[in-house]
Amino acid sequence: MSSNSEGLKTGASCEITDNIGILREVHFFAGLPLEVVKLFAYLCTRESFKAGDFLFRQGDDDGCAYFTLSGEVELRRRETDREVTLRRYPEGSFFGSLSLMGPMPRLFSLQAATDLGCLILTREKFAKISEQFPAIGPKIVASVVGRVLKWEKQVLKEMEGDLSSCQHCIGISLL
Amino acid sequence: MAKLYRSIVERPLRSWIFTSGITHLQGALVVVILGVVFARVLPLEMQKRIINEAINLRKIDLLFLYCGFYLAAVVAANGFKFAMNALQAVISQRATARMREALYHHALTLPLTYYRNTQPGAVVNAVINELTLPGNYIGMAVAVPLSNVLTLVAFAAYLAWLNLWLAALSLSIYPLVLFLVPLLQRKVNQANKQRVDASRKLSSRISESIGGIHEIQANGAYTLENRKFDKIVRRLLKIRIRWSLYRFAIKVTNNFFVSLGPFLVFILGGWLTIKGRLELGALVAFLSAQEKLYDPWRELIEFYQVYQDGRVSYDRTMALFNVPPEHRLIADDRPPHQLERSIEVKDLSFITRDGIRLLDRINLTLKSGEHLALVGFSGSGKSTLALCLGQLYSYDEGRATIGGHEIAELTKQDLVANVGFVSQTPFIFQGTIEENLLYAYTAQHDGGPPPELDDMIAALQQAGIFIDVLRFGLNTIIAPGERPELVEAVIRVRNNFRQDYGTDLSEWVEFFDESQYLYHSSIEDNLIFGSAQNPDLCGEKLLTNPFFMQFLDEADLNRTLLALGAALTRQTVDLLGNLPPDELFFKQSPLEPAELDTYKAVAAELRQRNLHQLDPHTQRRLLSLALRFTPGLHKMVALDTLLERLILEGRVLFRERIEEQMPEAVTFYRLDQYSYGQTILNNILFGKTKTEQTQARERIYQSIIQLLIEEDFLEAAVAIGMQYDVGRGGDKLSGGQRQKLAIARAFLKRPRILIMDEATSALDNKSQGRIQNIIEKHYKGKSTLIAVVHRLDIIKNYDKVAVMKAGKIVEMGTYDELIAKEGQLYELEFGRP
Repeated sequence: MSSNSEGLKTGASCEITDNIGILREVHFFAGLPLEVVKLFAYLCTRESFKAGDFLFRQGDDDGCAYFTLSGEVELRRRETDREVTLRRYPEGSFFGSLSLMGPMPRLFSLQAATDLGCLILTREKFAKISEQFPAIGPKIVASVVGRVLKWEKQVLKEMEGDLSSCQHCIGISLL
Repeated sequence: MAKLYRSIVERPLRSWIFTSGITHLQGALVVVILGVVFARVLPLEMQKRIINEAINLRKIDLLFLYCGFYLAAVVAANGFKFAMNALQAVISQRATARMREALYHHALTLPLTYYRNTQPGAVVNAVINELTLPGNYIGMAVAVPLSNVLTLVAFAAYLAWLNLWLAALSLSIYPLVLFLVPLLQRKVNQANKQRVDASRKLSSRISESIGGIHEIQANGAYTLENRKFDKIVRRLLKIRIRWSLYRFAIKVTNNFFVSLGPFLVFILGGWLTIKGRLELGALVAFLSAQEKLYDPWRELIEFYQVYQDGRVSYDRTMALFNVPPEHRLIADDRPPHQLERSIEVKDLSFITRDGIRLLDRINLTLKSGEHLALVGFSGSGKSTLALCLGQLYSYDEGRATIGGHEIAELTKQDLVANVGFVSQTPFIFQGTIEENLLYAYTAQHDGGPPPELDDMIAALQQAGIFIDVLRFGLNTIIAPGERPELVEAVIRVRNNFRQDYGTDLSEWVEFFDESQYLYHSSIEDNLIFGSAQNPDLCGEKLLTNPFFMQFLDEADLNRTLLALGAALTRQTVDLLGNLPPDELFFKQSPLEPAELDTYKAVAAELRQRNLHQLDPHTQRRLLSLALRFTPGLHKMVALDTLLERLILEGRVLFRERIEEQMPEAVTFYRLDQYSYGQTILNNILFGKTKTEQTQARERIYQSIIQLLIEEDFLEAAVAIGMQYDVGRGGDKLSGGQRQKLAIARAFLKRPRILIMDEATSALDNKSQGRIQNIIEKHYKGKSTLIAVVHRLDIIKNYDKVAVMKAGKIVEMGTYDELIAKEGQLYELEFGRP
């Protein structure tokens, strides 16, 4: 248990400074003014999960974004009769920017594969800060648009030559 | 005795003069008044006799006798006058109170549609302000005219007896006044009507803007709102000035004509006396008697004004509420129906004033105990149908029956006895959880005994708010001496908790350990490591306490803490200095939102001066902040290892000093002792939780619940939680908690018919699913349910699903049937097939 307790332990260096360093590496926050990133860094909380705990479950609207500080997580989806593991994410992954921006019942579950420490920001906090700094709105939208575009490009690249098999699934960048 | 009016709006103002509780006071008043009049006239006669008989004839014994009578009359007159005023005040206050009660009782029964166009402010203004003037009138209605008319008549008769001509002349003024005053009063009434309307508008405006204060502040729409408000205020100002001017005009006119009286008496009376036709004593008596006409006359005119103002305010106010309630409250001739649980709706329509059919010929039948889900797009009429079945809206066409009884014809009491209603945005009243939970039950069993604790707990459990209430209970701080049985149980639970879950949950709980620094407790708690019993060591007083300050010095903490306080001030002001005082921003800082400005000034001072140059006041501010610093929560500054070590050493020194100098001032944390000043939860944990994370908290609570059950202490803890004050409008509860409490409130009633209007919309999937299971398990076949449902994943097991579109039911059947049909429900759930 002590392996992942750094999420809650207080070290000598100030936690906000650490958080700023982390958030500036995350695409979603990277383009924002330092003043705002600092506030997000202040409002984030560090939490720890044990292997097997769910960060969120399919259908929940937890309204949070997560950054994994230590440990790994698995993305799962429950289908009518079985549960499938889709992917495993390493330390340093970020989830949930869309969830910060509006109601978003989860289509997947995220489960701690190992003991886990992570940084959490809630929708309520995000909304309050956005209200105070309306100028960040367009930057955030641009960042999300960029991600969607990149995602679809990636899909198209992977599907190259085989587009007909999934013609219903593509086109999210046309939204 | 006044006749019985169906509601206050039909009662004329004068009917309140003799109403129960007031009539006998008015009777007493008449007796007192007769005394007043007699005691007022007597001194005049004495005055004449003192001059004519005693002084003129030089008779000392008569002088004493008459003066004695005079004195007695003056004393009696004042005594009677006091009694009269007291009675009048009681009458007018009672009348106002009765009117307020009656008006409020009536206002609560008015249809919901009425309140769409009526602001709460208008009701507040009517009940609080506008009934004062009518109440004043009722207090005066018997006393003033009777006493003053009698006095006037008595004086007039006395004057006539003294000198008929002189009397006729001086009384000739009054008919003129009687002609002029009503003319002016018409203007006053006009202004008063406008005043009542403008005051109502003003109150409505205030209640609307305070209701929307979020929106105003969020949009910074101060100027806009101010402009709207100022306009009404200025209009009211003009009206009030006009109203006052006309009122004064009446007074001045009256005074002018009345003060012509002595002028006439001097001319004619003087002439008669000089000619020897009138005794000097009679002239003096005449003059003072005439002077005494003024008061009663002025009072009569004032009474006339009060009557007119009261009447106008009363009529105008009643006109606002002159809407008949749509349903009878109780039936006088029978107990409330125990309705059979079937529901039948035939060609039911609900039409708005603009002729739009929100419900258009709805037909449906529900057998006893059947469950129906109403689904459809928003605006399709689902909620309107639910509200019509709950008698909250009155339908315009068609029939709707419960157990064969037409809903429109049932009394409110019938409804209350049979139907439970959970609305979309339930209202939670200020008070405890328990009061809110019992709200519907108490109305149903008016005056009956309260339900068993077990039933209340069952309702809380079914609605899924049990854990929340338990949490409120566990977060309570109990005072020393209170609940000794609880204290013992807590110590036992604490030991078991350590044994059973100590290692497992140490990730999320920081246990109190004398040799360890507590990162989730403040520096103050780390130093004291216990609860202060001596008030001089509590709160703000700690930093002015010489013992504590000397201790800080001795422990070498003073300078270090000052430096920490300065760092916290700088960092926090830098982070939050430009943000509004929102609790959310400040929760992770040692500052309270209201302190921001103070500490901004401190930060400015810190830029100018060194720590040792600060005045003691500012130094105290820095120390205060440093003592609150909780490294696990306040992340803007890191805890220095040197300081950490100093504090741990300080903890030992502090205990030594306390034990030497003020034993009993502090109870230190001990594993075998209850710490007052800490919550029950912290006492059980013998530590503090480190996390806000739901799952971890749930895990902690689940373990505690197990232990509480073993100690047979769970119910007691929930009972404490039920005393939690939910705040104004329940604002200390989350939206989900409010909905759950409203559902528990309906469950506790065990109604035959349950209507839920999107009752679980604010709940997460899990809670919604849980409540759905409870409903299926406990209520199917027992209560007939109509549920307006927004999320379709819970409707699969309903007996019937009705899909609504534009006020009509477009299809109805079981979920499987409708999905198989690939019709409207299919489209709602999966999109166009």
